[in-house]
Amino acid sequence: MELSDTPPPRKPTRSIPGKIFDVLSGFGLATITLLLLGLLTWFATLEQVDNGLYPTLNKYFSIDWRHIFLLPELNGKMVPLPLPGGYWMCALLLVNLTLGGIIRIRKGWKHAGNLISHFGIIFLLIGAGVTYHFSERGNMAVGEGESSSAAEDYFEYVVEVAEIKDGKPAQIHIIRGKDIDDLKGDKLRTFRLPGMPFDLELTSYMYNCVPVSASERAPDRGQFVADGYFLSEKPKLAKAEPAEQYTAGSYARIVTRDGKKAAPFILAGACFHPFSYRLGDRVFTVDMRKRLWPMAFTLKLDEFTADFHPGTSMAAKFISKVTRIENGGEAKVTIQMNEPMRYEGLTFFQASYGPPGALPGQKMYSVFEVVRNPADQWPKYSLWIVAFGMFVTFIIKLAIFLGAGPRKSRHV
Amino acid sequence: MKTCVACLIASVVMFSGCEEKKEITVTETRAATTRDAAPKLFATSDERFRDAKPSPVKGDTPAGWLALPASQFRLLNYRFGESGMGEVWVSLAQGSVLDNVNRWLKQFEASAIDAAALEKLPAVTLAGSTGKWVTAAGDYVGGMGAPPKPGFALAGVVATVGGQILTLKMVGPKAEVEAAKPVLESFAKTLRMAE
Repeated sequence: MELSDTPPPRKPTRSIPGKIFDVLSGFGLATITLLLLGLLTWFATLEQVDNGLYPTLNKYFSIDWRHIFLLPELNGKMVPLPLPGGYWMCALLLVNLTLGGIIRIRKGWKHAGNLISHFGIIFLLIGAGVTYHFSERGNMAVGEGESSSAAEDYFEYVVEVAEIKDGKPAQIHIIRGKDIDDLKGDKLRTFRLPGMPFDLELTSYMYNCVPVSASERAPDRGQFVADGYFLSEKPKLAKAEPAEQYTAGSYARIVTRDGKKAAPFILAGACFHPFSYRLGDRVFTVDMRKRLWPMAFTLKLDEFTADFHPGTSMAAKFISKVTRIENGGEAKVTIQMNEPMRYEGLTFFQASYGPPGALPGQKMYSVFEVVRNPADQWPKYSLWIVAFGMFVTFIIKLAIFLGAGPRKSRHV
Repeated sequence: MKTCVACLIASVVMFSGCEEKKEITVTETRAATTRDAAPKLFATSDERFRDAKPSPVKGDTPAGWLALPASQFRLLNYRFGESGMGEVWVSLAQGSVLDNVNRWLKQFEASAIDAAALEKLPAVTLAGSTGKWVTAAGDYVGGMGAPPKPGFALAGVVATVGGQILTLKMVGPKAEVEAAKPVLESFAKTLRMAE
C-alpha cells in the first residue's frame, strides 16, 4: 500500500459574508430571537401593572435608540438582566425568516407548505411594523342623541390657532406635538403662521402639568407667573398615571408682524376655554388640546345599552346604535364588543361608556376607540396564510406516507 | 484622502440634522368639527383653568381682605390679617346647623354641644337669615392630614338659608381673629344669595 503525500481535500472555507449569511439565516438565531421575544413579552406584561401600559410599550418595543437594550423591572425593582429591545428583535426575526425561511430553505414541492407558512409569519411581522409606524389610535366620546365628526388622539397634545368668524373658528392651524415637546426649560421656538397677522412663540413645555393660581400657592421652582397662574409639574405617583391622562402645558407669546410681543400666557391641556386675542377688529383663539382627526362623516349615537353580569359591575355587553351621516345620506350601524365598525380606513371599537355608576334612565355616553391602521386586517390574513401553509404541509406528508406505505409492505 | 472627505461630508450632514430648530413654519391645518362649536371668547384665567362659575353667594369684600379665586368647596374665599394665615370662606354644607357647629368645634378639640346649647348661641344675620355665631380657640386641626396649628381661633356663622346650610367661617391666629370679629359680623350682613 502506497502512502500519498497529498493531504486530503479540505472543506472550502466560507467567506465572511457567507458566514454572516449563515448566522443570520440559521435556526440558532431564530430560536434565540423567539426566546427573547417571549421573555420581553412576559416582563412587559408584568411591568405595565406598575408603570402603565403606554410607557411600558415604549420601553420594550420602541424604535428609539435608547431602547436598544433595556433592564426590566419587577415590583418596582430593577432586574439585572439586560434584554434587547423588542422592536429590534422583531426586525432581526424578520431578517432571519426571510433569509432562512424563504431564501435558504430547501426548495421543491415537498417544502411548499413550509414556504407558505414562513411567508405568512413574515407578512405578520411586516404588518406589525406597518402598524407601529403608520397607525394612529384615538377615541371618540358621544352622548346619546349627540353627534361627533372628530376623534381625539390618546396622547399627542397640539397647539391650535384659529381666527373666529361668526362665533366659530375658521381654518385651524395646527402645531404638532413633535415640534413642541422638546421645548424644555428656557428653550424657545417661533412658529410662523402664514395667513395670520402674527406668529407664536412657545417655551417651557411640560408633559404633565396643571395651571396653579399663584394666590393659592407660591411658585416653588421659580416658575413664571402669567395672569396670576403658573404651570406646576404634576408629582409622580406611586402607581403611574396612565399616559393618556397626562395634561401637557407650555408658555406662549404672540408676536405681531411689526415685531411687538404681547404679554405671555399659559397654554394647558387642563384648560376649559382657549386663550383669546384681539388684533384690530379680528379675534383669534390659541388653544392646547389633544389632536383631533376630522372625519369625512358624522356619527350620531342613537341609543346606548349596557348589560352586566348579574350582581357585578362587569360588562357582559355594550351596544351602541349609531347613525353614520355622510353627504346627506344616512346608514344605521350597530357597534358592540368584538363587532367594530370599519369604514373609510377607520375602525371604531366599542371601548367604554359613562358616566360611571349611571342610574337607570340617566343620559349616557359611549366611547369608541378609533383606529386608523393600514395593516388592520393583516394579522388575520397572515394567520390564514400560515394555516394554509400548514394544511399544505400536512397534505403533502400524508400523501408521501400513503404513497410509501404499499412500497414498504412489498419490501416486507 | 477620498475617505476623509466622505467622512467629513457625512459628519456635516449628520450634525446639521441635530441642529435645534429656532423657527418652524406651520403648514398643517384642519377644518372645524363638531368639537369646535362656539368657543368661549375672552375667558379669564379663572374661567380657563377652573371653569369658575359665578358664585351663588355674593358679599362686599371688607377693606384689607384679599379675595382669592373660589374653589370646589369655597364659594367665596379670602385671606386677612398681617400674618397671612387668616382665612375666611363661605360654603354650602351638608347636614344640619348643629352638625356643622359640632364639626367646627371638633376641629378645636372642643366638646360637642346639644340642641339646647345651640339655641343659646348668639344670633347673627347671614344672607338675610338668622344664624348661630360660633367661636372656639386652641389647636386647629383642619383635617386632610394637616398638622395642628396652635394658638388659632375660630369665629363663624351657620344658618339655614333657602333650605340650604350656608356657613361663613373665619380661622386664623387668635389675636387676628379677635380683632376681625366685628368685621366678620358686618360682612355676614352683606352676604346675599344671587338671583
